[in-house]
Amino acid sequence: MEMPATPNGFQINITDKVADIVFDLHDEKVNKLTTPVMEEFDGLVEQLAATDGLELLVLRSGKPGIFIAGADIAEIAEITDPVAGAALSSKGHRILDRLTDLPFPTIAVIDGACLGGGLELALACTYRIATDNPKTTIGLPEVNLGVIPGFGGTQRLPRLIGMPKALSMILTGKPVNGRKAFKLGVVDALVPAEFAAEKVAEFAGHIKSAAGRKAVLARRNPRPLRRWLTQDNALARLLTAKVARRSLMKKTKGRYPAPLKALEVIRRTLGMPLDAGLAAEAREFGKLAVTPISKNLINLFYGSEVLKKDKGAVIDGKPRQVSRAGVLGAGVMGGGIAWNFTKADIPARLKDLNWEAVGKGYEAAANIYGQLKKRRKYDQREVDIKMHLLTGTTDFSGFGNLDIVVEAIVEDLGIKRKVLAELAGHVRDDTIIASNTSTLPITELAEGLPHPERFIGMHFFNPVNRMPLVEVIPGKETSPETVAAVVALSKRLGKTPVVVQSCPGFLVNRLLLPYLNEAVMLLQEGASPKAVDRVLTGFGMPMGPFTLLDEVGIDVAHKCAVVLAAAYGERMTNATLLECMCEDYHLLGRKGGNGKGFYLHQGKKRVANPELPAIVGDWRKANNICPRQFSDDDILDRCLLTMVNEAARCLDEAIVADPLHLDMAMIMGIGFPPFRGGLLRYADALGADHVWTRLSELAGEYGDRFKPCERLQQMTRNQREFYNETVR
Amino acid sequence: MKERIAIIDGIRTPMCKAGGVFKDIQADQLGAWIVTELIARSEIDPALVDELIMGNVGNPAHAMNIARVIALKAGLPQAMPAFTVHRNCGSGNEALTTAAAKIQAGDGDIYIVGGTESMSSMPLLYGPRMTELFANLAKSKTLGQKLGVISSFRPSFLKPVIGIVQGLTDPVCGLIMGKTAELLAREFHVSREEQDRYAVESHQKAAAAVESGRLAEEIVPIPVPPRYEAVQEADDGPRDNQSMDALGKLRPYFDRHNGTVTVGNSCPLTDAAAAMLVMSETKAKELGLTPIGFLRAYAYAGLEPQRMGLGPVYSTAKVLDRSGMAMSDIELVELNEAFAAQAIANLRAFDSDEFAARHFGRQHKVGAIDPDILNVNGGAIALGHPVGMTGARLVITTLKELHRRNCNVGLATMCIGGGQGGALLLEAA
Repeated sequence: MEMPATPNGFQINITDKVADIVFDLHDEKVNKLTTPVMEEFDGLVEQLAATDGLELLVLRSGKPGIFIAGADIAEIAEITDPVAGAALSSKGHRILDRLTDLPFPTIAVIDGACLGGGLELALACTYRIATDNPKTTIGLPEVNLGVIPGFGGTQRLPRLIGMPKALSMILTGKPVNGRKAFKLGVVDALVPAEFAAEKVAEFAGHIKSAAGRKAVLARRNPRPLRRWLTQDNALARLLTAKVARRSLMKKTKGRYPAPLKALEVIRRTLGMPLDAGLAAEAREFGKLAVTPISKNLINLFYGSEVLKKDKGAVIDGKPRQVSRAGVLGAGVMGGGIAWNFTKADIPARLKDLNWEAVGKGYEAAANIYGQLKKRRKYDQREVDIKMHLLTGTTDFSGFGNLDIVVEAIVEDLGIKRKVLAELAGHVRDDTIIASNTSTLPITELAEGLPHPERFIGMHFFNPVNRMPLVEVIPGKETSPETVAAVVALSKRLGKTPVVVQSCPGFLVNRLLLPYLNEAVMLLQEGASPKAVDRVLTGFGMPMGPFTLLDEVGIDVAHKCAVVLAAAYGERMTNATLLECMCEDYHLLGRKGGNGKGFYLHQGKKRVANPELPAIVGDWRKANNICPRQFSDDDILDRCLLTMVNEAARCLDEAIVADPLHLDMAMIMGIGFPPFRGGLLRYADALGADHVWTRLSELAGEYGDRFKPCERLQQMTRNQREFYNETVR
Repeated sequence: MKERIAIIDGIRTPMCKAGGVFKDIQADQLGAWIVTELIARSEIDPALVDELIMGNVGNPAHAMNIARVIALKAGLPQAMPAFTVHRNCGSGNEALTTAAAKIQAGDGDIYIVGGTESMSSMPLLYGPRMTELFANLAKSKTLGQKLGVISSFRPSFLKPVIGIVQGLTDPVCGLIMGKTAELLAREFHVSREEQDRYAVESHQKAAAAVESGRLAEEIVPIPVPPRYEAVQEADDGPRDNQSMDALGKLRPYFDRHNGTVTVGNSCPLTDAAAAMLVMSETKAKELGLTPIGFLRAYAYAGLEPQRMGLGPVYSTAKVLDRSGMAMSDIELVELNEAFAAQAIANLRAFDSDEFAARHFGRQHKVGAIDPDILNVNGGAIALGHPVGMTGARLVITTLKELHRRNCNVGLATMCIGGGQGGALLLEAA
């Protein structure tokens, strides 16, 4: 008996006492559990409950590669009242409870993404079967959006697979594949995707007998002793939670309340009856859903979706595909970029002046694969095959075959121009030439090239394997096709490309350098590196400015700062202590020879550099500066509001498309804390008035470089925000 | 006359002594490295290549048709077939001549050929009794049966079969290659001193070729996996300080009492790979490619396994007959030096009317080889002999040297274990 599909796309078919529900949400690429969908589903469950003689319900998806991708994020984003949030959650609980309470067994057949609400729905079924389809991913990623699972995930999952394993899934939000889900006990069977129908029928036959049911249930709880030790008594739960909390604090520094809350809810409720637990879950879900952190994380999720779809330029047809790439310069960056190509299965030809240098590039690439191998992302066979994609050369042989060449040689306009001109003589007329310059203007670099329309900036960040951002910088004559090709290529490399206009420092360094410079100014005036770093890591930056300076190299940062000071004038006047440190004292940071900088670096350990107070003292004496104390607020505002001010200028000059792209670039490029939502979200949270007032105060006290720019003044005057340019 | 086969480019890895720099690189990795580089630098569209043919002698257990493994690792299209050829020490030649035969038969136009060998990776094997024990263990079902099988173990079962020794021992005449060289030393009355002197010269010539950068022209350096910390840019065999004194101190290796063949006047076990892009002359013209030279004719010949070292003279006589050329036409010779005794024996046989009459029924000798045109950049005694690869190297070295000397005709010839010889007539472009 087949019934017509419901308005939201549930198709029910009843044959031989088995009800088969296929969910295929109309007009959407993915299945998601919106409120109307949930209500409709509720109706179906009610209808089935009243149908006589049913023996089994099988629930599956009509969409390839997707079971149910989750609840509707837009609904969570809209929650502004914790009570309404809790109500949304409780409503879901009631509907899924009715599914659980059906008088016959239910099976969820998971062939594709089964995330968040999707998994919670599957957990409310009696049995779950997953396929080995590579697209099958199963998890509860809610904490990534700043909330906890709200449709019973914190309750049903720990009860099903035990507290430690459930915590590993819920606190990280990381989904697992079908095989792992089977191993964890989340699903009761793992079946080949191609034979899913037969295998489900077989399973259905199996669970008809008491022995069959017993075997399935026995698999879920294979180790009663361990279960007792870790969760079946309050003390054990407390200990398990303590261990989990410690590792969570280490990872998140307590900045992300959702996983901590999830942990607390699970610890507190696991011994309770289910309905009490669900009630607790709903309450906490509601409270978290209204936090700014959750809103910021949801916005970031939307932002990354926007960036995924952003083609970078308007062109006819598809962007050009790169099938072979070249890299000039086999230093750390060149080696990293070459690695990135091989990782994406693009053959890469690496050129440097001699084989010793080429070898360094190989070593850099091999080191990255070594790290990935250690983390079990690759085995040796795969690494060998990837490394075979890399070829080395000391001349331009083979360059006539390349679709793109990325230049990563020394940062010197004269040398780069000379090498680029030579390169142009060895590549095809349609080869894209990209420069990995971090500061030099693209249009100037393009001068004299036969095809400036195919020249572009492609700025990777160090270390290439860890930093997700690529700044794509068109010059004046760069064609949209070139932009689109490089944006598409960057995505293929697994990077997040952001198109920015050519200006000294481009976007990220133009914002980062003033921030680092300001930190050094603070040191000059009396603050300690440790204090400044503490304040900014406390804000959520992955590392403080002085630690970052030591990582980047004090000489490298200084060189970059000089370029920016020359370009932007007074407001970026260099903190001269920086030059003094690298020129007079040869303190270059972690990698510079002796491992000395603002800190002493011994292996992975970092301690205060005992030479520093004397050096700074001498500098202060020479410059007639009397050291003073700074409040944490002063430190924070001087460093961050400098960036906000410069970011406003970048928007004014249309260096970047919009606040969203700017924020995403800062998060991907320097690790600006995601829970803050980005630099401009942070500024919006402070409010334009506050930003303007503080900058004006700072300008009065410390100099004109803090003077709020035109755009900030206007925003204050007109009561506007970066993200919301209309009147508040 | 058949159409000439154009060799567009040929390159090789450095040759490194087995158990040394390349010990962690398997033969398929070496081969993939060199083929990848050949494709990259020649800028050939991989889709145009009809087939990859690789010579390899000690086929690694993990890569049974090593040519196919190399093709895939080197990024050649999956639709392109590949196969491995085996003619012992002549396998690198065989890859080229098989491609030539296929091109001439109209099977295809463009081939990548070469040879690869990791003599470092030749395995030690369990002997038959240990193998049988494993088999019985696998067959036994109950614990009792298993214990029974295990109790049959004796420590002597663990004595390994050494793959490299087996591989270098002729299964028909029962002699290891070094012993066949001892036989030739006796037949041609080659003294220990002559052999050592020949070896010293090989090293001197090779060292000079390294010094002048001539060998670097055919070598592609390798950043050495698995850690890629160092780059191997040159062969590690040649010693510019090799001396009669040093060689004189070595004991004969294969015949301790009366022998003359030592490890110093024999070629070392070596790891390396080489590859060439080859096509019909017509196709090369069509694609506008300039070859480094041509294969004009070739021949393989058989002889007694215990005299396999004389393969060059047998096969050269045959190829000269076929092509209607004479030794006097040949301006450059690469004759593989498996052993100094064997190389010298060949020189004497080439120069002997009596030998020619007895073995080939010719009235006159095949033709003396002028020492000035022989192995001018050193030979296998200095450079090494990665068995499956050497044939390809001889061709590459000959063509590059013909070009440097502005000469036209060269001969690349080698002895082949099992009692064969191979000879290739090459022409400069």
